Amino acid sequence: MISVPYKHKMAAHCESGSITSLLNNAGLDITEPMVFGISSGLFFAYFHKMRSFTFPTFIVRNKPGQMRENFTKRTGVKFKTYSFSHPEKGFLVLDHLLDSNIPVAAQVDFYYMDYIPSWERVHINVHFIVVVGKDDSAYLVSDSYFPELVSLRVESLRKARFAGGNMSPKGFLFHPEFIPEEIDYETAIRKGIRKTCFNMLKIPIPFLGIKGIRMFAKKIVEWPALARDTEHLSHEVMKINVLLEDQGTGGAGFRFMFATFLQQAAAKINTPQLLDFSKKMMVIGDGWREFSLLAARFGKNRDLGPQRMKELSDLLMDRAKAEEQYFNELYKAIKEI
Amino acid sequence: MTDIPNNELKKEIKMLIMNTLNITDVKPEDIDEGIPLFGGGNALTLDSVDALEIIMAIQRNYQIRITDQSQARYTLRSINSIAEFIETERKNQHPENI
Repeated sequence: MISVPYKHKMAAHCESGSITSLLNNAGLDITEPMVFGISSGLFFAYFHKMRSFTFPTFIVRNKPGQMRENFTKRTGVKFKTYSFSHPEKGFLVLDHLLDSNIPVAAQVDFYYMDYIPSWERVHINVHFIVVVGKDDSAYLVSDSYFPELVSLRVESLRKARFAGGNMSPKGFLFHPEFIPEEIDYETAIRKGIRKTCFNMLKIPIPFLGIKGIRMFAKKIVEWPALARDTEHLSHEVMKINVLLEDQGTGGAGFRFMFATFLQQAAAKINTPQLLDFSKKMMVIGDGWREFSLLAARFGKNRDLGPQRMKELSDLLMDRAKAEEQYFNELYKAIKEI
Repeated sequence: MTDIPNNELKKEIKMLIMNTLNITDVKPEDIDEGIPLFGGGNALTLDSVDALEIIMAIQRNYQIRITDQSQARYTLRSINSIAEFIETERKNQHPENI
């Protein structure tokens, strides 16, 4: 039995949570919202037609792995990463790290996390857990969605780390390798905020950032024509709620986390002006949650006529307008304060 | 540790859930306060849409935001856990009442 001393904590999101948890256990005192904000985790992209998706979909955060990379660039913290083409090698390295008392984050397919009730599990290849120990039949896992350390069967972890399909984990592992004695939080926070604003406002691609929210608003009224039947449309509209609220932490949740980041940043770098932006972002998060709930209600009740799709479209346009104004103001403010 | 939530609050939460979800065929006393609200086993049979409805009802009624799904899963386990969460948040907002 190997068990690395590890303080487990729940988190809002698996990737920012596992990064934060590893850093905390390595001695760096930092919160999850601070990791999320510095690494410009907040984002939006709408995909109407993509080969990898059978139906339009969207994301509300930057791509998996980007948080860790951005955090590294802005703070000087370095992570050691590993990918594998052979499971045997992937497990040899994992066991060696645990033998060396190093807790390690692993990218996994969420479906195989058998300590989570079956009705909550879906196939998503970008869930992150921290492995902190093992015995003959199971690994000891810190999962930010679970209140305590849990046991995961060796076979389940094998399937989870080497699942196939879109964004397959390929046994990916990471752990902190270097933490600087001093981190320039002033610069890191400002860069994190500026880049978030840039990503939401300035990328000249029509499906990214605010433009992506607007595209979603325009295209959602076309969804009925893309669906096979009412059941299929209902499933896809219900999935809006799943993507916004259930998987990771969703549209509202990420926005609440960004609001908390601004609140903490205001104190950390003595910029009380950010407090007002924090409060406004909380309200924006509430708006996403209302949209999510409306989509879920319509989907659940199979109430999906043109008028209902138009209502969803209008709410999305409101979100785009609110976020456009917000990020323009924040972009301007962060340059001046 | 928080104090054990009072029975009035638990009753209030049951009524809030029933009114929010328009549940008329279950009596408040039939809802077991310690048994999970989701996944069967309790008098209520709730799903993830209901969970979101409850999250927003808690925000409207108690001005308390449940900001992410990890927190939501943990908080919405049972009537007892919701009551405990509300009590804790109230104390955090108004520490003079501790």
